[in-house]
Amino acid sequence: MPMKGRFPVRRTLRYLSQGDIVFKNAVKVMTVNYNSAGELSEGARKFVFFNIPQIQYKNPWVQIMLFRNMTPSPFLRFYLDNGEQVLVDVEDKTNKEITEHIKKILGKSKETLEKEERERKKLSHPATFGPKKYHLRECMCEIEGQVPCPAFVPLPKEMRGKYKAAMKNEA
Amino acid sequence: PGWCPRVVPARGRKSRHAPPAKSKAERVKMPPPVDPEELLVVLERYRQHRLELSALLAEFRAEVLQKKREERLSGEDSAELLAEHRRLMAWNDEENARQRARREERLRKEAEEEKRRKVEVAEKQARKMEAFLKEKEKEVLQLQEEAKSFITPETLDARIEECLDNPCNYNFAIDKDGRVVKRTVLS
Repeated sequence: MPMKGRFPVRRTLRYLSQGDIVFKNAVKVMTVNYNSAGELSEGARKFVFFNIPQIQYKNPWVQIMLFRNMTPSPFLRFYLDNGEQVLVDVEDKTNKEITEHIKKILGKSKETLEKEERERKKLSHPATFGPKKYHLRECMCEIEGQVPCPAFVPLPKEMRGKYKAAMKNEA
Repeated sequence: PGWCPRVVPARGRKSRHAPPAKSKAERVKMPPPVDPEELLVVLERYRQHRLELSALLAEFRAEVLQKKREERLSGEDSAELLAEHRRLMAWNDEENARQRARREERLRKEAEEEKRRKVEVAEKQARKMEAFLKEKEKEVLQLQEEAKSFITPETLDARIEECLDNPCNYNFAIDKDGRVVKRTVLS
């Protein structure tokens, strides 16, 4: 199956999960105005091409809109849920600078992210086992240090019901 | 209802079209015997147990929801967060101002560049025009000079006389080595 697009690496999960901008809960809409031609819009174009998939992957509930060739200079606009609009001028900036800028003003800090991660982990106990949807392991036989699954390794005679019954009958 | 004797039991091994066995033709299945007092007691106990359990679960659920709501609200209203947000917005505004300054600088430089180029072009044009005019001037003067030696109807006779008096010999001889000899005789 051929790869699709000019930079198919943008479609890989690994690349997408490497995006580190997680917006605060207040950010609802992100709008990017940029131009298809011009040296000054180059950074914005690269940002749209490379970084926006990562951002959308990490923030699936943020609406992102792109506008092409509508204004002479490129800029980003964020709409927060209290009605505030944040304007970011990105003319003559590289895409890395743009991401740094956005992360600083509207991204969740590392501590917040870690705290949220810890909260999430608290909800489920890793030692329990059950359906794959809720637990890591399905059966006791998968846990290390426990008796292995009899489907792969036969149980010793003493643990098998037929042997025990035979012994009882004999005695 | 469940207590009426079934004629066709639920099928295990047989398909729905196979007839029941002959030995089971007179079989009448009855539900298991129930002791009414025991039933009452058991039902009452179950009812109480379920009531208590559901009450406890509802309590816990409410508690968890309350905690979550409190957490959410206190997180939003925190003055610290607002202050942080304002600080970041201020920083963003500064950044925009800096960017604007840079942009204006760039535009100014470009405008200057443009003006300079225009002036240069105008100058070059002027110089070219000047040179052209000078050339034309020179040609006109040269023509004027030549005009003095033109042949007009008045000078015609004199010039003819002159030409006849001074025969000009344009003949010459040349050999294979390229040596020119102009001493040929005019006949």
